[in-house]
Amino acid sequence: MVLLDSDRYARQIKLAQIGTTGQERLAGSTVLIAGAGGLGSLSALYLAAAGVGHLIICDPDHVEISNLNRQLLHAETSLGKPKVASAADRLGQLNASIRITPAQVRLDHGNMDGFLEGVDLVVDGCDNYQTRQVINRACRGHNLPWVFGGVQGFDGMISSFLPGTTACFECIVPDPATKSGAPSPDNGILGACAGMIASIQAMEAVKLLLGIGTPLANRLIRISGLDMRITTTCLSPNPDCRACGPTRQKPRTKKNENPI
Amino acid sequence: MKIQFNGLEETIPQGLSIRKLIEFFGEGDPHVIVEQNGRYIYPKNYDRCMIAENDRIEFINPNLGG
Repeated sequence: MVLLDSDRYARQIKLAQIGTTGQERLAGSTVLIAGAGGLGSLSALYLAAAGVGHLIICDPDHVEISNLNRQLLHAETSLGKPKVASAADRLGQLNASIRITPAQVRLDHGNMDGFLEGVDLVVDGCDNYQTRQVINRACRGHNLPWVFGGVQGFDGMISSFLPGTTACFECIVPDPATKSGAPSPDNGILGACAGMIASIQAMEAVKLLLGIGTPLANRLIRISGLDMRITTTCLSPNPDCRACGPTRQKPRTKKNENPI
Repeated sequence: MKIQFNGLEETIPQGLSIRKLIEFFGEGDPHVIVEQNGRYIYPKNYDRCMIAENDRIEFINPNLGG
């Protein structure tokens, strides 16, 4: 493959761990970004800028004014548009040489498999437990890595889940009744907080696509932004996990009633 | 005895299990994630895992917004 964009990517091709081979690998990669909100906005921008060849972006919502403090894919001119249309416009302006597939859809256990055809990796940009459970189960079924990120207020957390290798999302957050799990417009969020977590997710995504460095596997990074305290928790698969444990169960519901 | 709790030094009674420590601190989220000395502790081990002097304990409420 002849790279037409070698100037565009010159500064990352200079990195020994990436080089021309790595750049070609990125160009041949497909990433599904689940959500075009605070997290998905930033991870999509970085992955598009890095030259990931195909981005599939899923989100059922429309752009609202209250999104604009953190969802940097969208602008005032996009108010009222589907987020995925706004995302595709903005990402296309940033990098016209990659393919972008917008899907205005609420991911659920019934439709998720259809979006994973040809996908190499999933990046989490959801704002609720249920869609993450959908991703967790589907990625396990397709043996795909996914990069979890979650934010609230000034805080956030990140981990990479590699099916069959690491603890999974439901190992560490087994119950949808978790107090902080419910999305609510009352939950405040600083834009830079989402950007901080999404940037780390994008970094992990590139590493996993290229097989470089040490993935954030079996480690959960937590960032408390107000006092800038960053801690890492070691994880191990939960033998009682209902998703990946020996006695795993099927998800109870087929429909996901919560938004991305 | 002294432990590091969520990054701060705290004094707690001797001989507490993780389950008792959750009660001691009045943690209201039944689904809180507990980390002891950098390791995730699964809920089924809350009674078995005892707190020792100078342990680093973190109570983590998952961030699930996006």
